[in-house]
Amino acid sequence: MTMTRRQLVAAIPAAALAANLPRGARAEDARKVVTFWFGQANSDGQAALRNDLVEAFNASQDKYLLQMEVKGAAVNNLLKVALVAGNGPDIVQTAGPAYLTAIANAGQVLPLDDFAEKYKWKDRFLAPLLNTSVYGGKLYALPRDYESMHLFYNKELFKQNGWKLPTNRQEMEEVADAALAKGIIPFGAGNADWKGVNEWLMTVFFNNVAGPDNVRKALAGELPWTAPPFVEAVELSKAWYNKGYFGKNYFSLTIEQSFLQVVNGKAAMALNGTWSFGTKSYGMSKPDTVMDVMPTPSLGTAFTGPLVHLACGATLSIAKTSQNAEGAAAVFEFMLTRKFYETMNRDWPGKWALPVKDLPPEMLSGIGYPLFEKTISNLHEAFSKGQYGFTTWTFWPGATNSYLIEGIEQVWLNKITPDAYLTRMQTLFSQEAKEGKVPPLPPRTA
Amino acid sequence: MWLFALPALLINICIILVPAVLTFTAAFFMWDGVGTPAWAGLANFQNMAADPVFWSALTNNFIWTAIFLTVPVCLALVMAAALLMAPKARIVVQSIIFLPRIIAVAVTGRIFQGMIFSPVTGVVAWLNEHGFSISDPLADPDRSLYAVAAVDIWHWWGFLAVVFLSAMRQISVDQIEAARLDGAGFLALFRYVLIPGIRPTLILMLILTVIWSFQVFEFIFIVTRGGPAYGSEVLATFAYRHAFFEGDVGQAAAAACVMSLFGLCATAVYLWLQITDDAQST
Repeated sequence: MTMTRRQLVAAIPAAALAANLPRGARAEDARKVVTFWFGQANSDGQAALRNDLVEAFNASQDKYLLQMEVKGAAVNNLLKVALVAGNGPDIVQTAGPAYLTAIANAGQVLPLDDFAEKYKWKDRFLAPLLNTSVYGGKLYALPRDYESMHLFYNKELFKQNGWKLPTNRQEMEEVADAALAKGIIPFGAGNADWKGVNEWLMTVFFNNVAGPDNVRKALAGELPWTAPPFVEAVELSKAWYNKGYFGKNYFSLTIEQSFLQVVNGKAAMALNGTWSFGTKSYGMSKPDTVMDVMPTPSLGTAFTGPLVHLACGATLSIAKTSQNAEGAAAVFEFMLTRKFYETMNRDWPGKWALPVKDLPPEMLSGIGYPLFEKTISNLHEAFSKGQYGFTTWTFWPGATNSYLIEGIEQVWLNKITPDAYLTRMQTLFSQEAKEGKVPPLPPRTA
Repeated sequence: MWLFALPALLINICIILVPAVLTFTAAFFMWDGVGTPAWAGLANFQNMAADPVFWSALTNNFIWTAIFLTVPVCLALVMAAALLMAPKARIVVQSIIFLPRIIAVAVTGRIFQGMIFSPVTGVVAWLNEHGFSISDPLADPDRSLYAVAAVDIWHWWGFLAVVFLSAMRQISVDQIEAARLDGAGFLALFRYVLIPGIRPTLILMLILTVIWSFQVFEFIFIVTRGGPAYGSEVLATFAYRHAFFEGDVGQAAAAACVMSLFGLCATAVYLWLQITDDAQST
């Protein structure tokens, strides 16, 4: 190819510019790319992912280039298809151990034991969370966060009405009845945009009525779901629904609308997850003068005192077909840095609360969100001591969990009895247990 | 002729026949979507038959079909006939009634959910504030299917009316004028001239309605996700739930086979009617 004089003259400034580019930009071509698909993220979340993870990781070293795509709600389906086709991302994020089970059993993700040994991950993560990803003695994922159901309440409303914070079922029902008498909805709740709200509530009923030990026995196959403690749990959920404790519009309200009812004083409380801190539109602020939060109180006789529920909202693995497993592991290692913990939890509270063992108070206070810091600190302590219940989305196998969500509506709307509901749940659970689909249970002590 | 049809045939084989055969095959396997499929024989069909939700979903598909074979078709036929008689209003009215068809399904669903049926932000809320006691039909398992059908009818009937109007405009003006001279009023003209005149189009749309009714998914999934309490569950949402929430692709494929069976029956009826018509015309 021959160049004209004019083309040659035009090429000189371009060549000069390229020669003066910063070192990082030139090095990008030589970097090995690490791909990562993320699920749902609001605008704050996407900004946090971009600034605190992608750009921060890429600036922290010059060997790997992290590329992230936010895929939305369908990411779990896309991921399964892509993994089977051998075209998945390097970093495989699932929506928790219940989703990971099938992928790990199918050998679509790499065991992480060698990396765990190299980076001492087993010494740095809380054991109850890390063990939710151990299959056949091998570690297949790292927990991205921990979550729990909590009782969010409008503290101003409680103060104005002289209500005491409930510590058991009787006190909870007294507050709820007093609220109803004043035309206030006891619990702001709605599942119009996400049916999973049903399982948030059922996690509380199963654990706080039947007790976490009975739930653990049922998950281990030592107690059927048709046992009396679970019947009592389902009956209580139905009684509360029928009394109007969740308001008249449970099936019509979105999560945001129902949470705002509490913030605006139209509802007194909400049984919601710790991820709520990360959604600005829920109306909570830092510091919060209206809202407060506490672990959910006992609702039965199986145990006393408040209870948190062990949940892992997402797991991180490396795809079997990854060409850059080292790079993916380097991203995981970056997530364990103190700076990442502080910036990500400051910008998107609750979404990336890595269950690290070492969580000094000053690390939390750096986040600048007192209510969130208090909650995480309590969770960390309870999980460290092995004092927790079990969330349905982390420990129930797929079909059983799907039925738990869909079938409870039939109970609440008087289409089937609690016994029929639990009998069907037991049938599905037995089948899935036989097929090895039940996610692993962590040891009771940390 | 075969060479002429080859490109279309190849595309159909790749994107229709191969997935269809794979889906049919998957119905005889236990498969979670990522692992190794295991032969299951007829177990998926047996499990499906033992699941009461499958039967209520199938029933809902029949109800949906009955609704869509009557309500939008009647609305569209009357509107098309009226527009045929009133040519000046045609462009404006056609544009208005066709508009819902070009709005994305997700947008239509959210509009009805939030601005019409919602007891907090919708027309239902406004009616309640003004003395009418109306609850959200989407929250009632006995009414949710009909409420979603109403949304889909709003989206669908205008398109149907435009199709019927185009067919009616093919009818000879002489025939219509002759009927009028003989004293036929609107109803008689409609019954004895317009309906027989668009019979092939009408039958095609009815057959397609049956096929589409057994495939209905988007509106139900967006607006109610088949609930509450499976109240608006249909075969497609049943299959989707099994495939993507329960990790039971085999069961989902079995449900898809049942959906296809009804579509095949409707297609067979259409072909039989075509053959009968051809035989009569020769």
